[in-house]
Amino acid sequence: MTAVTYLEAISQAIREEMRRDESVFLLGEDVGTYGGAFKVSAGFLEEFGPERVIDTPMSETAIIGSAVGAALMGMRPIAEMQYIDFITCGFDQIVNMACKMYWRSGIPLPLVIRGPAGGGTHGGPFHSASPEAWFFHTPGIKVVMPATAYDAKGLLKAAIRDNNPVLYLEHKLLYRLPELREELPSEDYIVPLGKAIIRRHGRHMTMLTYGAMVHQCLKAAEQLATEDGLAVEVVDLRSLTPLDRETIKESVKRTNKVLIVHEDTLTGGVGAELAALLAEELFDYLDGPIMRVAAPDAPYPYAPPLEMAYLPGVERIVAVARQLAAY
Amino acid sequence: MPTPVKFPRLGESVAEGTVAAWLKREGDYVEKDEALAEVVTDKVNAELPSPVAGRLVKILVPADQTVPVGTAIALIEEEGAVAEVAEEASASQSSRAAAALATPAVEQVTSAAAVQRGTSALSVEAEAVTAEPHDGQQPGERERQRISPLARRLAREHGIDLNEIKGTGIGGRVRKEDILAYLDQRQRSAQTAQVPAAAVAAQPRPSSVTVASSAAVAARGPEPVAAGPDEEVIVPDRMRLAIAEHMVRSKRTAPHATTVVEVDMTAIARWLERNKEEFKRREGYSISYVPFVMKAVCEGIRKVPLINSSWTEDNRIIVKKRIHLGVAVATDSGLVVPTIHDADQYTIAGLARRLNEVAQRARSNRLTVQDLQGSTFVVNNPGTFGTILSVPIINQPHAAILSMDAVVKRPVVTEEDAIAIRYMMYLCLSFDHRILDGAGAATFLQAVRAKLQSYGSEIDVY
Repeated sequence: MTAVTYLEAISQAIREEMRRDESVFLLGEDVGTYGGAFKVSAGFLEEFGPERVIDTPMSETAIIGSAVGAALMGMRPIAEMQYIDFITCGFDQIVNMACKMYWRSGIPLPLVIRGPAGGGTHGGPFHSASPEAWFFHTPGIKVVMPATAYDAKGLLKAAIRDNNPVLYLEHKLLYRLPELREELPSEDYIVPLGKAIIRRHGRHMTMLTYGAMVHQCLKAAEQLATEDGLAVEVVDLRSLTPLDRETIKESVKRTNKVLIVHEDTLTGGVGAELAALLAEELFDYLDGPIMRVAAPDAPYPYAPPLEMAYLPGVERIVAVARQLAAY
Repeated sequence: MPTPVKFPRLGESVAEGTVAAWLKREGDYVEKDEALAEVVTDKVNAELPSPVAGRLVKILVPADQTVPVGTAIALIEEEGAVAEVAEEASASQSSRAAAALATPAVEQVTSAAAVQRGTSALSVEAEAVTAEPHDGQQPGERERQRISPLARRLAREHGIDLNEIKGTGIGGRVRKEDILAYLDQRQRSAQTAQVPAAAVAAQPRPSSVTVASSAAVAARGPEPVAAGPDEEVIVPDRMRLAIAEHMVRSKRTAPHATTVVEVDMTAIARWLERNKEEFKRREGYSISYVPFVMKAVCEGIRKVPLINSSWTEDNRIIVKKRIHLGVAVATDSGLVVPTIHDADQYTIAGLARRLNEVAQRARSNRLTVQDLQGSTFVVNNPGTFGTILSVPIINQPHAAILSMDAVVKRPVVTEEDAIAIRYMMYLCLSFDHRILDGAGAATFLQAVRAKLQSYGSEIDVY
């Protein structure tokens, strides 16, 4: 057994689910002959044939729209966005069709929309999006974002088997990160949707985060432990919808201080909702303000120095954590 | 939000007390100052007045439970919250009209309310302790302490007076660790305080204690003293323990120096001989040397204000502008020192009346919370027991204490170099040498003596 990358874990999940269930199929731009822009589906066309690995025209509306139709007919489509930025072209199909279908018709809609999200790869303003807040806000779709290879596979399998629309966000910076390589169980497994995981235990502060920021937070926590003697707990949310309120609240009740870290822009982001939730329900447990580290409210920059400044990193997380610890 | 009723500080050295009985039940309505419960400390049994009018929604501390001073023991849901809001609204309207004047106007209202609430500064302070969140804004603003939501909740749960806690967060904010550290410290000091008492109490039959078992006990703390064959062990009651603690603390805190003057009390003694019975018949209470001395002490304090002051922990001297005289009263269970507030405002007869009242309350265990708070100087009268010279220990945190000893007839050389029989008394002043020196103490005593010796054969005690 070999250690696999985050990307290979995604690839494995799709392949295994397509083998397991004939109703599962993949559609998107260049997913067939080219094997996907990031080679997630390399070799799929050969194994599953053109009816289950469908190269589509360059129209996200068409991709998602036909996936919605197929799901209504009992299929379990996986619609790939070549870059998650382009999901906005299919926005109406998601928020008006997919999200409301069960509500309107009572017919389940087992649909996965997935694609590479996030920055740090010099992708510029059109290839670095973190679109989770739009869908986090919208009822009727689950939103998940794995931070490890194990979760990438387990969450995707759970998403494919779920009877609801699921937006599965892959962080493209993590795709081939060598340190994320891990050996995965040979047997079938899933990571249940709606369950967060505590990546590091601590009692002085909880960092709530997800996606690539999990790793920034873990590095920051390590630095805070060695330099400041602070025991920081890092909670990887994994699922944004459904949100694992229990794990979040249980952690915050113990640590009494919260730092929320996400790569998406600050205003109206996932962190805003988390902060509101904690302020409403755990006010008496808070020993300091709920603080957030996020990208500034600006479009994603292209120039590398700007990109460095834009993305939340260890340095900023540590600085804000220190401020919070001293509060 | 309900107003917590806190266990009152019944005397300076009292750290804890017991709720003896609840006079109201949950759900009952109480008026402001209506008796809520009977509370017992090592100094006093008292009725606890309700800080606010409202409904007693929750009893937090059941009867017979002992809690630290400041612990919230009940919650009262205030009536008239609506009226208060309305008042505030109209106040804000008028302040809008008088834009620039708004803030001073509100401040005036606040201070007026504060004055109304108590006749003395100290009773306002006392009220702040018992009824802190009452009136919502005012005490909160006075304290204006930065505190995290969690720390606030913890403080409430553990009945901690937030004023006692120094925050270590940014800007002095009280945080979780400050509360936890305080609790830890409180628990440790409570444990050490309990050890000797527990050790003694664990040994009701000293004769049966074997060497082996007392060695086993020793591991836990100071070894309990076993009574010898001709000895008896007395387990001090709480009052005795409190007095012991206070005396040791006072001696350790203040470097005591004592100075003595001799006072010719002949005029007062003769006046008393002639008028005592008549006075008692007329007024219904008796008069003695003590109110004369108290009056003279007020005179002395006016001359030497430092006598009426305190040395603070951060090395400042706080001079008290008002004179609240504590008077030592011996009761069956021990010494109590009830306070006569604003003693300088009374005539000699007025002081006699107040003295009778508090002494009676002290002996019948009916002292109130007010009675035991806020004294600034103590007059002690061991003379009633025939002593002629006493060296008193200062009642902390005062600057000094005065002992008046017995008035006895002595042969005295008069101004005219004749030998006469006069009524003489020694006044002993123990003073905190940090605050003032012998000269200041002597100046005070001279002023007291001058006043006492200033009377002629007719004395107007009114």
